[in-house]
Amino acid sequence: MSELDEFKATYFDECSELLLELEEQFAAIQSGERTPDRLNAVFRAIHSIKGGAGAFGFSALVGFAHAFETLLDHVRDGRIEMSVEVTGLCIRANDIVADFVTAARNNETLPEHFGAEEKLRFDALCAGENVADLEGELMEEFDLDFTPVRVVLKGDTEPVYEEPDADRFETLPFQAMAGHWTVGFKPHPALYARAGDPLLLFRELASLGDTHVRAMLSPMPVLAEFDAIGSYCAWEITLSSPTVTEAAIREVFEFVEGDCDLTVTELATTQPTALPTEALAPAARAADHGTTLASQSSALSDLVPPAELTQKIDPAPALPKSPVAAAPELARPSPVTEQTPAEDKPSEHKATGVQSIRVDLDKVDRVVNMVGELVITQSMLTQQMDETLRAKYQELVRGLEVLAQTTRGLQDSVMSIRAQPVKSVFSRMPRLVRELAGKTGKKIRLETVGENTEIDKTIIEQLSDPLTHMIRNSADHGIESPAKRSAAGKNETGVIRLSADQAGGNILIVVEDDGAGINRERVLSVARERGVVAPDQQLTDEQIDQLIFAPGFSTADAVSDISGRGVGMDVVLSNIKKIGGSVHVRSITGRGTRMTLRLPLTLAVLDVMLVKVSATPYVIPLSSIVETIQCSRADFGRVPSGGKVLRVRGEYVEVIDLAERFALPNEADTTNRFVVLCETDGSTKVALIVDDIIGQQQVVIKSLEENFERIEGIAGATILGDGHVALIVDVQGLKSMVTHRTAA
Amino acid sequence: MRVLTVDDSRTILAMLRHTLSGAGFEVLQAEDGKQGLDILRNEPVDVVITDINMPVMDGIQFIKEVRASGLYQSLPILILTTETSQDKRSEGKAAGGTGWIVKPFEPEKLISVIHRVVH
Amino acid sequence: MPPGVAEEGTRNMDALAIREDSLGAGLVAGQNSLQLIAFSIGEQTYGVEITTVREIRAWNGATPLPNSRDYVRGVINLRGTIVPVFDLRARFGEGRTSPTKNHVVVVMSVGEKWVGILVDAVSDILTVSRDDIHAVPDGNAVDTELLTGIITHDSRMVGLIDLHAVVLGAPTDA
Repeated sequence: MSELDEFKATYFDECSELLLELEEQFAAIQSGERTPDRLNAVFRAIHSIKGGAGAFGFSALVGFAHAFETLLDHVRDGRIEMSVEVTGLCIRANDIVADFVTAARNNETLPEHFGAEEKLRFDALCAGENVADLEGELMEEFDLDFTPVRVVLKGDTEPVYEEPDADRFETLPFQAMAGHWTVGFKPHPALYARAGDPLLLFRELASLGDTHVRAMLSPMPVLAEFDAIGSYCAWEITLSSPTVTEAAIREVFEFVEGDCDLTVTELATTQPTALPTEALAPAARAADHGTTLASQSSALSDLVPPAELTQKIDPAPALPKSPVAAAPELARPSPVTEQTPAEDKPSEHKATGVQSIRVDLDKVDRVVNMVGELVITQSMLTQQMDETLRAKYQELVRGLEVLAQTTRGLQDSVMSIRAQPVKSVFSRMPRLVRELAGKTGKKIRLETVGENTEIDKTIIEQLSDPLTHMIRNSADHGIESPAKRSAAGKNETGVIRLSADQAGGNILIVVEDDGAGINRERVLSVARERGVVAPDQQLTDEQIDQLIFAPGFSTADAVSDISGRGVGMDVVLSNIKKIGGSVHVRSITGRGTRMTLRLPLTLAVLDVMLVKVSATPYVIPLSSIVETIQCSRADFGRVPSGGKVLRVRGEYVEVIDLAERFALPNEADTTNRFVVLCETDGSTKVALIVDDIIGQQQVVIKSLEENFERIEGIAGATILGDGHVALIVDVQGLKSMVTHRTAA
Repeated sequence: MRVLTVDDSRTILAMLRHTLSGAGFEVLQAEDGKQGLDILRNEPVDVVITDINMPVMDGIQFIKEVRASGLYQSLPILILTTETSQDKRSEGKAAGGTGWIVKPFEPEKLISVIHRVVH
Repeated sequence: MPPGVAEEGTRNMDALAIREDSLGAGLVAGQNSLQLIAFSIGEQTYGVEITTVREIRAWNGATPLPNSRDYVRGVINLRGTIVPVFDLRARFGEGRTSPTKNHVVVVMSVGEKWVGILVDAVSDILTVSRDDIHAVPDGNAVDTELLTGIITHDSRMVGLIDLHAVVLGAPTDA
C-alpha cells in the first residue's frame, strides 16, 4: 500500500468513528441536551473530516463540510441557535457527509446537486455573519495567507537617517543601488515570550541575499538595572539582492508582527550615499552610541531608543523620534466564546483520565489464539492426572488447579481486550430507520438500550447484517401504516426497540417492534405452498414463527428493496449460527414481534460436556444443558405421530437420538445410554440420547467452515486432550433440523 | 531534534509523523492539550506543533498553560490550523504561540517553517 | 507439542523415503516443467503439483462428520486446525478405503482451504514437462471430472488431479 493509501485508510477509519460520534451527539442534542461540550464536539468532528478531506483533495466533501463547519462554528459560539429546525438540518447534513465520505472512499462522484439544498440553507443561516471564507474556491489554500504588516510612522513625521558611528560599529558604505534594503528591527518583550528568536530571523533574511547585521545597543542599561527578560537590543540589517521584494522581507517577520518594530526600506539609486553627520551628531551619537555592558556609562542610560532608520529625505535635523510602536495587528474582538476546557466535565468527554493505546488487531488475535491453546494444554494436563498420580503428587495437583484458575483469569482478560461496546453497530441503525420510515411512509421511532454492552470485536462485525435485516423486517412487515395503527388504537408512530444485554454466558440482542406481529396464516400458507411444511401438518404458533427462518422462505411478493432483495431470514440465521449464536422469534398478533439473538460471550472458549456417540466423541455446550438422566431411569413415551418423547416434571420433551441423527451405528441396547436434557432458545427443551457421558471440560472452538463447510446440527469442532477432534453439537440447530425433516 | 505533535485527528498525526520523521525528527504525539502537557513535563522537546480544536484541552488553552508554567519560554510552538481567518491566528499568538502553519500542509513548507522557529 | 497429542504420524517430506526419479532429476525445473508428487490408489497413479502439498501424514483416524458425502472421511487435527479428509478412492467411485496406519493423508492447500486426501501410498517426486501432458480421454465421466490431464511417465500413466473438482463439486447426497 502506498503511503498515500495508508493515510487515506487511516482517514476513512477516522471518518467512520467521527460519523458515529456525530450521530450520537446529535441524537442527544435533539433530545434537548444542547450543552457546549456537545456543540463543540460536533464542530470538531466536522472540522476534522473537512481537514482530512482537504489534504486528499476530496473537493466535493470539503465544500459541503466547510459550509456545515461554518454553521456549527456559529452555533457553538452562540451566533446561531441550535433550534429544532437547525438540529434537523444538521442531522440530514450528517447523512449527506456520510454519503460524500463513502463516495470518496469508493472513488465515485455523487450527482452535482447532492446536498445543495442543505448547503444553501447553511449559507443562508450564516448570512450576515462573517462568511468571507466561503468565497470562490473552497479548497484550502496551500500558501499561508499573507497580510502586509502595517508598521509605519503615523502622520508625516520625517524619517531620519542615522549615520552609524564609525568607531563603534562596522561602517557600511550605503551604496544605494537597486536591490538594497534596510531593515530596522526592534523586538518587544512579547516576541521573546513567544519563543521568538531574532537570530533565526536574521538567518532567514540571510537566505534572501547578502546581509549585514548591526546591533543597536544604545538602550542597554547598567547591569544593576538590567532586566533579564527585558528587551533592549535593536538591529539594523542591510540586505542586498537583485530579486528580493519588500513582501518577501516582511514575510520573514510574519510570525512576529506586532511583537516588534519593523521598518523595511529600499534604498533608491538617486540618493546620496552619505549624509552630513554634524546636524545629527549630538543626537545621533547619543541615540546610537552603543554602550557595552562593560562600560556602563550612566550618561547613556536615559537615552531614547534609536530612531527608526529610513531613508533621509530632509537634511534638516530631526530629532530622533521615539519609534511608533507598530499597531499590533490584532483582530477585531473575537466573537469566539471561551470554550470550557478548564472545567473538566468528565461525563461528557470520552475517557478523561483513561489512558489508551492503539494496538494492531492482528497482535490481539495472536494473543487470543495463544491463550486458547493454553487453555487446552492446561486442560489436558489436568486430564492426564489419573487417580494414582493425584494421590502421589498432591502438590502437582494443587499447582495445576492454580494454573487452571490463572488461565481462566488470563482468558477473561484477553477476551475483554477484544470486547467493544455494541454501540458501534447500533449507531448505524437510527439512520437506517429514518430511511425506512421515509421509504415506507410509516412513522417509526427507534429506541436503543444497552449500547455499552461489550461484545468481542469479531462478533460485532458480523452483527451488522443480521441486525440490519431484522430491523428492515420490522419496518417492512411489522410496523403498520399510521392509518392502520390509529385504527387499531395504537400510537401512529411505531416503535422498534433494539437492546443488548449480557445474560449468563451469552449476549442477548433483541429487536422488537410493537407492530402487527407475524401473520401466521400467511406464513403457514406460504410454507405449505413451498413445501416447507406438509399440507396436513399441525404446527404450534411458535413453530410457525420459526418458519420464517426456513431457507428460501420469504413472504415478500415482489423482490423488495427494503427487505434486501427478498433474501430471507434464513440468511440471518445462518450468519448468526456461523458465529456460534442462535435466533429465536416470538410474536403476538396485533401486539408485536420480538427477535432474540443469543451470541456466545466469547468466540473462542466454551464450557462443554464431553459425550460419546458410538465411540465418536462429541461435546455439548454446558450452557444448553439442564440435566442428565440415565436412560434406564427415564420415562419415555410416544406421541400419536410416532415420535419419541420424554416425560419429565410434567413436560413432554422431544427426543433426538444422536446416533440416529448423525447416522452413526446404533447401539441396540438403550438402557445403558444417557439422556442429556437440553434447553434451546425460548425455553424449549430437547432430550438428546448419547451412549456415554465422559465429563465436563473447557474447549477451544475451532471452525469447521475454515477448511470445509457448515454442517447442520454441528456448531463447530474442538480438539480434545488426546489430540482427536470432537464435534460441537448445535442443540438449537438439531431441533430445527427435525422440524424440516418431518416436513419433508 | 524532538518535535511534539498535538492533534485529535489521527490522520493528521500520521501525516505529520511521516513528514517529520522523514526529515530526521524524533516525533512525539498527543491527542489533546492535556496529553501534550503530560508529555512536555516528562520529555525533552525542541518544538511543538499543535492543533487548535481538540477535546479535553484545546490548543489555545494548551499554549497558555505551557507559557504560564514559566519553564518553556524558549520552546517554539507552531499552531496547525485550517482556519484562514485572522482571529484564530491572533488568538493563538496572543496565547503565546510562535508561529503557524495552515492545514493541509505541504511537507517542505512544514519543514521550512519549523526551521524558521527553531535552531 | 503437549504430551498425548498424536504427532508421531507426521512426517515431513524429507524424512519420507521418496526416490528422486532419475529421469526427473535430469530435467531442470524451469518454465516449461512441473514438479509433481505422485501417489497411488490401488494400481492407479495420480499426481498433484508439489507446490500445493503442505504435509504428508500417516493415517491416524478421523472424526466422522454426520450426514456428509461418502467420500468425506471426517476431520483431523492439524496442529490446531480442523482439516477435512477426503477418501480419494471413494471420490473416484471405487469404494471406501479401509485405511491402516500405513495409509497416508496428503495435506494440500486448495484455494484458501487446507484439505487432506487419503491415499494408499505416496511414491515419487516427478519432474515432467508441460508439453507431455495430454488431455483426459473421453469415456470415463469420473476421470473427466476429476483430472486435468494425463501424463505418461516411465511407462506409467499418471493422472493429474483437479483438486478443486475433488473437493468441491459432486452433488450432495440427501
